[in-house]
Amino acid sequence: MTNTRIPGLGERPPVEFTFASRSVVAQAGDSIAMALWATCDLTLRQSSRDGAPRGVLCNMGICYECLVVVDGVTVRACTTLVRAGMHVELGGKP
Amino acid sequence: MSADRVLQADVGIVGAGPAGMAAANVLAAAGLRVVVLDEGHRAGGQIFRQLPVGSHNAGAIAEPPSHHHGHALLATFDQSRVTLRCGASVWDARPGRLWFEQDGASWLLRCRHIVLAPGAYDRCIPFPGWTLPGVLTAGALQVMVRGFGIVPGKRAIVAGSGPLLLPTVTALLSAGVHVVAALEASSRWRALRALPGVLGNGARLSEAFWYARQLLKAGVRLRWGWTIFGCEGDGRVQRAIIGKVDRSGRPRRETAQTVDVDVVGAGFGLVPSIELGLHLGCTSRWHEGGAGHALVVDAEQRTSVENVFAAGEICGIGGAEVAMAEGHLAAHAVLHAVRGTAVPVAVRKKARRERGAADAMLRAFAPLPGLHELAQADTVVCRCEDVTLATAQAAAALYGSSLRAIKVGCRAGMGPCQARICGPSLQALAGREPTRAMDLPVVQVPLKAVRSETIVNAPPA
Ligand SMILES: Cc1cc2nc3c(=O)[nH]c(=O)nc-3n(C[C@H](O)[C@H](O)[C@H](O)COP(=O)(O)OP(=O)(O)OC[C@H]3O[C@@H](n4cnc5c(N)ncnc54)[C@H](O)[C@@H]3O)c2cc1C
Ligand code: FES
Repeated sequence: MTNTRIPGLGERPPVEFTFASRSVVAQAGDSIAMALWATCDLTLRQSSRDGAPRGVLCNMGICYECLVVVDGVTVRACTTLVRAGMHVELGGKP
Repeated sequence: MSADRVLQADVGIVGAGPAGMAAANVLAAAGLRVVVLDEGHRAGGQIFRQLPVGSHNAGAIAEPPSHHHGHALLATFDQSRVTLRCGASVWDARPGRLWFEQDGASWLLRCRHIVLAPGAYDRCIPFPGWTLPGVLTAGALQVMVRGFGIVPGKRAIVAGSGPLLLPTVTALLSAGVHVVAALEASSRWRALRALPGVLGNGARLSEAFWYARQLLKAGVRLRWGWTIFGCEGDGRVQRAIIGKVDRSGRPRRETAQTVDVDVVGAGFGLVPSIELGLHLGCTSRWHEGGAGHALVVDAEQRTSVENVFAAGEICGIGGAEVAMAEGHLAAHAVLHAVRGTAVPVAVRKKARRERGAADAMLRAFAPLPGLHELAQADTVVCRCEDVTLATAQAAAALYGSSLRAIKVGCRAGMGPCQARICGPSLQALAGREPTRAMDLPVVQVPLKAVRSETIVNAPPA
């Protein structure tokens, strides 16, 4: 299932990366968080207390709820843009 | 090599929103070397947020009439000789120095004058289920639509308080989302207090009408005195429980009803981003409207620290018109410091007038204390450290209800967001003192959680 993009804004070049070993096709200029939102992957990390799913809260770099691991480095998914070939994994404790 | 990663400028500006861009345009036109740093990927700030390069909004996303100011500002900014560094997070500062991380690299900007224009972020009030994926801040939904052109979902609820609910609803409508309900916790009568600020100000009035028309066209009614009681769902939000609140914001549980949704936007106003200012040693004040701490500036946007100026939301929540007027004024104050030129009286008056209108709005939508009763004992209040309300209350009972005591007692507010999310409501919740002014947040370097290599490799001052 995919959420859509708003029509009429103009398509940008495709960018392919993996999320939890699955291939995702985004558009250049997407943040990781928004590319995953478009493919309905809302869970980006798990709470350290009870493993509960967490995802984007502020979408502007403030809350650190969207932490994911990109090629071994923990980053905010909402402020990090997609790069072709990047490997994104669910994040853990912020 | 760190030697390559040092920039020099006359003026360093943090934030490429309306305040930062307005300041940069004036300073660059006067021939000063200006570097603007912004964590976002394009200039514009929160309100004039642009889609990624390659996408264009040719009317698909509705914009209020005031946005033509933004287009004009951006056009001048793009043509100016300002150096804009995007994706640049400022994580440390001292007078004349700004350290930032960009693309994982550690940079230093040496600049004699600093203009702080970092804006504001959404004020959160915890409620049961607010940690479920799909429950976002109101601002986050705007970023999704206006900044990335992504459809947030199919059925949404927007809840909270203050003028920002309206652009959130119109953003959702532009994206084709069915807005099931738009809930404003303030009563209609309380909101009337904003009238003096709106009536005396043509731009604000026409803006209010524009939003009212958008909602009317879509058949969305703003429900005054309503809010969100909680969210439920399996792995993501699927239902929202909504209901009425009394005049102090206390939930009237007997009015609760459940609606099916797949996305929720909640925003209870904005909190000024004062962390950089505090770290630089600038004096701040508690805004009597309860909207948070803001930096203190003089009549020409000077902070209490020499050669550090501030403009826009960091000086108190006010919106784009205030931000532009103050950015403009701050630039003239910098020019005065550099060249001794007089600050034009009209520029000063304009900033003063806009700020006055904004303050009237703020008072009308000041956070309602009773909303802190939405959270239940097992509701997570600090999301970074996963601290529940019960734990925070136990800590406050044991150690006291200062922000520091609560932190030490239960780790709430110790995570990477540095209490930006839980801080504004933590004391009201844990100490059960809903009307108390919150303590000043304790800011620590790095002000943004950057990579440890960035800190180790930071170019020396
Ligand atoms: C999500 C959101 C939506 C809004 N929508 C509207 C609206 O529709 N209408 C309206 O009137 N008002 C809106 N506002 C209110 C808004 O704050 C003001 O209208 C206006 O944008 C404030 O201008 P500013 O220049 O003070 O700050 P901003 O526009 O917030 O710009 C500040 C900039 O500073 C950057 N920044 C902050 N800290 C750092 C750092 N440490 N390092 C690097 N960069 C940093 C941010 O990335 C941001 O781009 C919105 C606010 C938010 C948060
Ligand atoms: S969603 Fe808040 S930091 Fe990314």
